[in-house]
Amino acid sequence: MKKYIAKRLLQLIPILLGITLLSFALMHSASGDAVDILEANRGGVLSEEAKAKAREELGLDKPFLEQYAVWMKQVLTGDMGKSYVSGKPVFSTFVHKLPATIALTIASVLVTILLSVPLGVLAAVKQNRFLDYLIRFLSFIGNSLPNFFVSLLLIYFFALKLGWFPVMGNAQGWKSIILPTLTLAIAMASKYTRQVRASVLEELNKEYVTGARARGVREGRILYFSVLKSSMLTIVTLLALSIGSLLGGTAIVESIFMWDGVGKMAVDAITMRDYPVIQAYVIWMAVIYVAVNLITDILYHYLDPRIRLGQEGAA
Amino acid sequence: MKRRLTAVLICTVLAAGILAGCGNSEDKKGEDEKQGTTAQDGEKVFNYGTTAYGVEMGNTGLNPHDNYSGWSAVRYGVGETLFKFTEHMELEPWLAESYEQVDEYTVKITLKDNIMFTSGRKLDGQAVKECLEDLVAVHDRAPGDLKIKEITADGLTVTITSEEKVPALLNYLSDPYGAIIDMEYGVTEDKNVAGTGPFIAEHVSDTEISLRKNPEYWGGEVKMDSVNVKEIIDGDTLTMALQSGEIDAAQGLPYASLPLFQENESYKVSSVNTSRVFFAQLNYDTPALQDDRVRKAIAMGIDKEGFTAGLLGGNGTPASGIFPSNFSFGNESVKAPEYNPEEGKKLLEEAGYTDTDGDGYADKGGEPLVIRWLTYPGRQELPLLAESAQATLKEMGIKVEVNNTANQQDFLDKGEWDIYASAFVTAPTGDPEYFFTTHCLKDSAKNRGKYYNEELEALETQLHGEFDPAKRGELAVKMQQILLDDGGFIFASHLKMSFAMKANVTGFEAHPSDYYEITANLDYE
Repeated sequence: MKKYIAKRLLQLIPILLGITLLSFALMHSASGDAVDILEANRGGVLSEEAKAKAREELGLDKPFLEQYAVWMKQVLTGDMGKSYVSGKPVFSTFVHKLPATIALTIASVLVTILLSVPLGVLAAVKQNRFLDYLIRFLSFIGNSLPNFFVSLLLIYFFALKLGWFPVMGNAQGWKSIILPTLTLAIAMASKYTRQVRASVLEELNKEYVTGARARGVREGRILYFSVLKSSMLTIVTLLALSIGSLLGGTAIVESIFMWDGVGKMAVDAITMRDYPVIQAYVIWMAVIYVAVNLITDILYHYLDPRIRLGQEGAA
Repeated sequence: MKRRLTAVLICTVLAAGILAGCGNSEDKKGEDEKQGTTAQDGEKVFNYGTTAYGVEMGNTGLNPHDNYSGWSAVRYGVGETLFKFTEHMELEPWLAESYEQVDEYTVKITLKDNIMFTSGRKLDGQAVKECLEDLVAVHDRAPGDLKIKEITADGLTVTITSEEKVPALLNYLSDPYGAIIDMEYGVTEDKNVAGTGPFIAEHVSDTEISLRKNPEYWGGEVKMDSVNVKEIIDGDTLTMALQSGEIDAAQGLPYASLPLFQENESYKVSSVNTSRVFFAQLNYDTPALQDDRVRKAIAMGIDKEGFTAGLLGGNGTPASGIFPSNFSFGNESVKAPEYNPEEGKKLLEEAGYTDTDGDGYADKGGEPLVIRWLTYPGRQELPLLAESAQATLKEMGIKVEVNNTANQQDFLDKGEWDIYASAFVTAPTGDPEYFFTTHCLKDSAKNRGKYYNEELEALETQLHGEFDPAKRGELAVKMQQILLDDGGFIFASHLKMSFAMKANVTGFEAHPSDYYEITANLDYE
């Protein structure tokens, strides 16, 4: 197992090299650089000398590969550089924004699980009955609505009309996180409810369930100790992907709720051609996906005895 | 029975939700939240949401010597400049008491005697000298504008000598980058500074600034105890934050939201015309546009009244020239072609463009008159202007192909455009020369259409050496008229900037310079 983990972590090196080079190349192929964009955004004019000086200071006058090499050298010495736009160290900016993103990720994943697992099981157990239809209908609606629309609806009803939660920001503690969490969880829970339902139905039709029933095992015990555990493999895979994507931030939700996370930071950086911030974000995303996939694989070992035993047998 | 019970339960929950949603917000929210001050422990707190603060604006932090952060220092009452602009964009002393133009290269400024920095240091000539020396050493635009050779200080006076004649030196010093800060105090890690303004920043981040009143403010009593400036990017969030009472005033509301506050007695709106103009440059490389009559016909085909009243919902003012009406050399001082499609059509016919094949578009020698209209989506007004021009020019038989792209620079570089519409702040320091030098001269950086007029070049040389503001204004009028007569530029509208606020907010007015927002007079009735 340790060997396996070490191997996966080693694979991270070529992945990081590849995607940082690719993102660097893609950003350089876009028109304009940070100096141009800042000038355009302000609606003013910088003299060519001032622009040349700014480019020289940022190293933007150097050839593409040289810029990449300089950046890579800095990163290897633990320096992620400074933002071209704000002038602040990239690492500290990133670390400052990360807790908000992590908090929102944890909250929305928890709410997603709390909503989708019971509803999915209920829909499967009550297959083709009123409750099943209702849950499927609601999950269809939840899946169809885009995030920005759900967030505006939630703000309208719960902040503006009822006054239960703040419209934006994170100044009011737990109350502040409810609406952004619900925005993300509604879409995810709608998707997962259908997955849980399908997965539970598949398990319910298997022979071990028929056998258990024939032996007089209670329905609840079959459901919670056998069926649900087996269904979890599918859910874990999906959740892993969602967690990866959530940890990368959710720019639209962050912008609407003014939730100061890494998603909005990344979109701003792309718009402003702020290469050091974009590169830091790319590294973060690569590490997240490798780490989350690794954790998922490890979870498989514990959830599915076939994988665990198969590997031990082969060894 | 159990099924029915479940169904009833679900229906009850849904109905409750719907009723709650449809209920009048007045039922749920106290009158004080809608109308009253945002008071905590008896203190007056002003929460202000704005789209104009943030990383993409390049104005985060309060250090005036960094990028556009001086705008934040001045807007939010932390920094003050030596001179400031009146509502007519004329200069008046601020930190300065008076000035004397010693010769064409030297100006001597006398400072007011009773001013302290929030750090506790007294404002004197030496403090101003230190600040301006740092400004020209580190800022990107200031050295090119000010062209300072030497600064000397003596008590309450500071004497600035320029390398060359800079008639608009005092205007440039009134740009927010000229906010005077205490360089001995310096700039903190979070980009905070010690200024002379009515407020002291307690917390500065890329998205928010918290301010407390300066109890020792030289300009009199500061009426608001504290102010929180918050960046809010999304227009709908900004709207609902003001409606819910989370903020007391908003800048940058979408045009569609403004009527919610204009037609509601719980709120009021302060609007002003700014020098941000939405205008079109015509490409002299395009053969059809080399004909004076075609350019004039196009100018006659732009319905500025219809555009501002209809598509902008009254949130813009039709432009004749470069500058809005509140400037002495503004809209009323020049004459632009009026919207007149019939007359425009005649001009096109004179130029040889008629609809020979009956397709509704004019053509000449078998070639239809097609205009590639390039613009970008970054300003909500520009795509609307393109749509408006497309519709009205079609009536005259001109086919407009709109290219609305964020990659406009690529198309400009390749020359794949005939008309380029953009937005520009034409007189950020109240002086008229800036727009001409940046857009209209042979060597101007933004003269994208390769416009050239010898008389205009000569007048610019005259303007560059003229110190008398009145004569500068007269020259600016002449130069604008040349631009309009040549038809190389079409000025469509000036931006009307609006602040929406709770009805009991006072001392919070939109200013044509866009520099002054939070002042000592900000208060609640």
